[in-house]
Amino acid sequence: MKKIETLLDRFAFVANKPSAVMKVYLEEGKKIVGCFPVYTPQPLITASGMIPMGIWGGQITPTVAGKYNPIFTCSIMRSCLEYGMTGVYKGMSAVMMPMLCDTFRGMSSSWRAGVKEIPLIAFIHPQNRLDSGALDFMIEEYKSVLKRLEALSGVQVTNASLNAAIDLYNRKNAVMQTFNEVANDHLDIITPTVRHHVMKSATFLEVSETIQLVGELIALLKAQPIHKWTGHKLILTGITAEPEALLSLFEENKIAVVGDDLAQESRQYRTAYPAGEMAFERLASQWLNIKGCSMAYEEDSQSRGKMLVDMAKKQDADCIAVCLMRFCDVEEYDYPYISKATENAGLYSLCLEIDQSTQDNGQSRTKIQSYAEMAASLV
Amino acid sequence: MSEVKEVKPKRELPLSRIMVNEQTAQVYAEAWAASEKGEPIGWSTAIFPQELCETFGVPLVYPENNAASISAKKLGEPFIEHAEGHMRYPINICSYARLNLGMADKIIEPGWEKVEPAMPVPTFLCLANNSCTQLMKWYENLSRNLNIPIFFMDCLYNYDEEEPAPHKIKYLKKQLENNIKKMEVLFNKKFDWDKFLEVQKRSQINRKLFNEIVALNARKPSPMNGFDLFNYMSCLVLCRGKASTTRIFEQLKREIEAHIQNGTSTYGSTPEAYRVHWEGIACWPNLGFNLKTLRKYGVNCVMNGYVTAWDVAYEPGDLEGMAKAYQCSSTNSFSTSSIMDMRTKSIEAFGCEGMLCHVNRSCKLMTFHIFVGRDMIEEKAKIPSTNFDGDQSDTRVFSEAQFETRLQGLVEIMKANKEAEL
Repeated sequence: MKKIETLLDRFAFVANKPSAVMKVYLEEGKKIVGCFPVYTPQPLITASGMIPMGIWGGQITPTVAGKYNPIFTCSIMRSCLEYGMTGVYKGMSAVMMPMLCDTFRGMSSSWRAGVKEIPLIAFIHPQNRLDSGALDFMIEEYKSVLKRLEALSGVQVTNASLNAAIDLYNRKNAVMQTFNEVANDHLDIITPTVRHHVMKSATFLEVSETIQLVGELIALLKAQPIHKWTGHKLILTGITAEPEALLSLFEENKIAVVGDDLAQESRQYRTAYPAGEMAFERLASQWLNIKGCSMAYEEDSQSRGKMLVDMAKKQDADCIAVCLMRFCDVEEYDYPYISKATENAGLYSLCLEIDQSTQDNGQSRTKIQSYAEMAASLV
Repeated sequence: MSEVKEVKPKRELPLSRIMVNEQTAQVYAEAWAASEKGEPIGWSTAIFPQELCETFGVPLVYPENNAASISAKKLGEPFIEHAEGHMRYPINICSYARLNLGMADKIIEPGWEKVEPAMPVPTFLCLANNSCTQLMKWYENLSRNLNIPIFFMDCLYNYDEEEPAPHKIKYLKKQLENNIKKMEVLFNKKFDWDKFLEVQKRSQINRKLFNEIVALNARKPSPMNGFDLFNYMSCLVLCRGKASTTRIFEQLKREIEAHIQNGTSTYGSTPEAYRVHWEGIACWPNLGFNLKTLRKYGVNCVMNGYVTAWDVAYEPGDLEGMAKAYQCSSTNSFSTSSIMDMRTKSIEAFGCEGMLCHVNRSCKLMTFHIFVGRDMIEEKAKIPSTNFDGDQSDTRVFSEAQFETRLQGLVEIMKANKEAEL
């Protein structure tokens, strides 16, 4: 148990102090590329000999970002710009930004205006993903990203080195999914906050370190007796489920998180890179295979609702909580149908507003308590 | 005792406006006729390649244009309330979308009380995301709620300042070709490439004519109230490929040339004291107040970037050129730096002395352009700018007092600048 606690402390530290992790990498002479959420082609960065680190902003009230961001920008992008403008990301060789929504479109210009010392590598995913031209486009787009990364690192990436990096990320994806499964047998140890630490730290650590540390945790958990959880179980969906004070509300009410579709957590690990010889084709195909994501246009417009309900049923959860980031258009458009799909499946639907610029979880507290009471009365 | 309220006579509409109204009525009538016959009828985003359905002879109506019309008549609120309440859409998403999603849910109910202009229930959707990414989510929702297919043109944001790279244009061209094939299946008709060429030619004639008309407003004083341009945009949205639009624009051009010859203007008898560039979509529900207040201070918004969004320029017969044009058409398809370079040029060409920016709650990207671009405008064009809060359809955002105060501030700076020049 001591070993588990030591590992969990490490995950908590990384999740809460990514700047300290970045400092160590920089002191080791490594180059860092910041990755805006979500679906940045991280194998390209790893193959270029640099470290991709997630950019998720923080729980702050921005003071300078308002110069280039309207007040109705989602709080995550406002805090990212604030950190960029105030030097928190200093030391990054570049940041990579996908044009997945209108805020990203605008943010690309805001970043260039406000954070001149960290170059922006912007790129765009094809959204008409079933069109026969989408794959070729994605390959060429990633190739143009790679040229910029190679110029930064001075490393020439080959088909073999990119394939090796992709394989590494497939291992990371697999290990994160295994952690999700194993965690559900140990919900006494893997509380919602602990689970979040493990998932979030994986966005900051070097890929090989994540595989090693999460792998060790899985092995240690498997050695523990299975815990029979008697509280409630729910699934989280949305962009992020933060701050930690929100997660501790689940703990206070004996609610376990048994699965998630959070962009910051499992959503980015559930789609493997397909097997193959041609590295760029593998990399690009992964985007075309993503299902049930608010940021990826899909002809099957029921896909996310079905996926969430299936996930809840598989894990014996009775509630799907939408962590709705304020001013996140893509999630806000999905909310009505997700909540209705949840209710139609006989599950509880919770809507928790997420806003990095406030510490007030009063509304969420009331909603979570009333769900816990209602669910308890039916047991 | 009772007061006798003076009733002002309604201003007589010029012939070109009457023609616009007739053309719009015709578009809706054709859509309803097709709907009643059980034929395909589509709802389309405003800058979808209309040439395709025009060639197939399949009618389209345009939810953005429809939402603007309904909002200008102040009839949008019940639909927005329905979307936010019964349908659970959050208040932060685009108000055109809320209005239209609310309406789409209402019109499938038997015996719903029509609000004009009323759109028939669509059998398919045409989606191009060159204006914004919210359109994708909006149309995904329509497709889900109405269980109908989408023809999608993913138009790719131009995040860098360079010309679109060849791989981007190739992807757009491929989508055009694939959409034509898919439409052939759904409409059960062969695509007539000869007719397509004629529609392309007509579309180019119309956009060029509109550019010529807009350019006439560069004269000092302007022959037009700049807001008039909003009234003719619908021709390019609804009927870019039709000869009836050519006739309207030719008539409008004659009317403006007559104003120039007579030294008159649709701005009215108030002297045009200040020439201003308007940035952003109109506040449709508050258009009358905006116009009245601008006139009060002698301000004519002689030019606005929004009306140039339908300047989809290409060589007829060149599918690749057409693909590129749709990728580059909308104000929102470029980075702020590129947009502000365009604005700087038009500010100079139209002799604008200030910029009035609509921080439109519904249009995030345009607002980002305003926030990031105002320094660029002040530096490059050397004119002052001011912002006001508003919305294209949601009446809860706009404040008359704030609009007037901000305008007063802009006028004071423009006045001081004029005096310094003397």
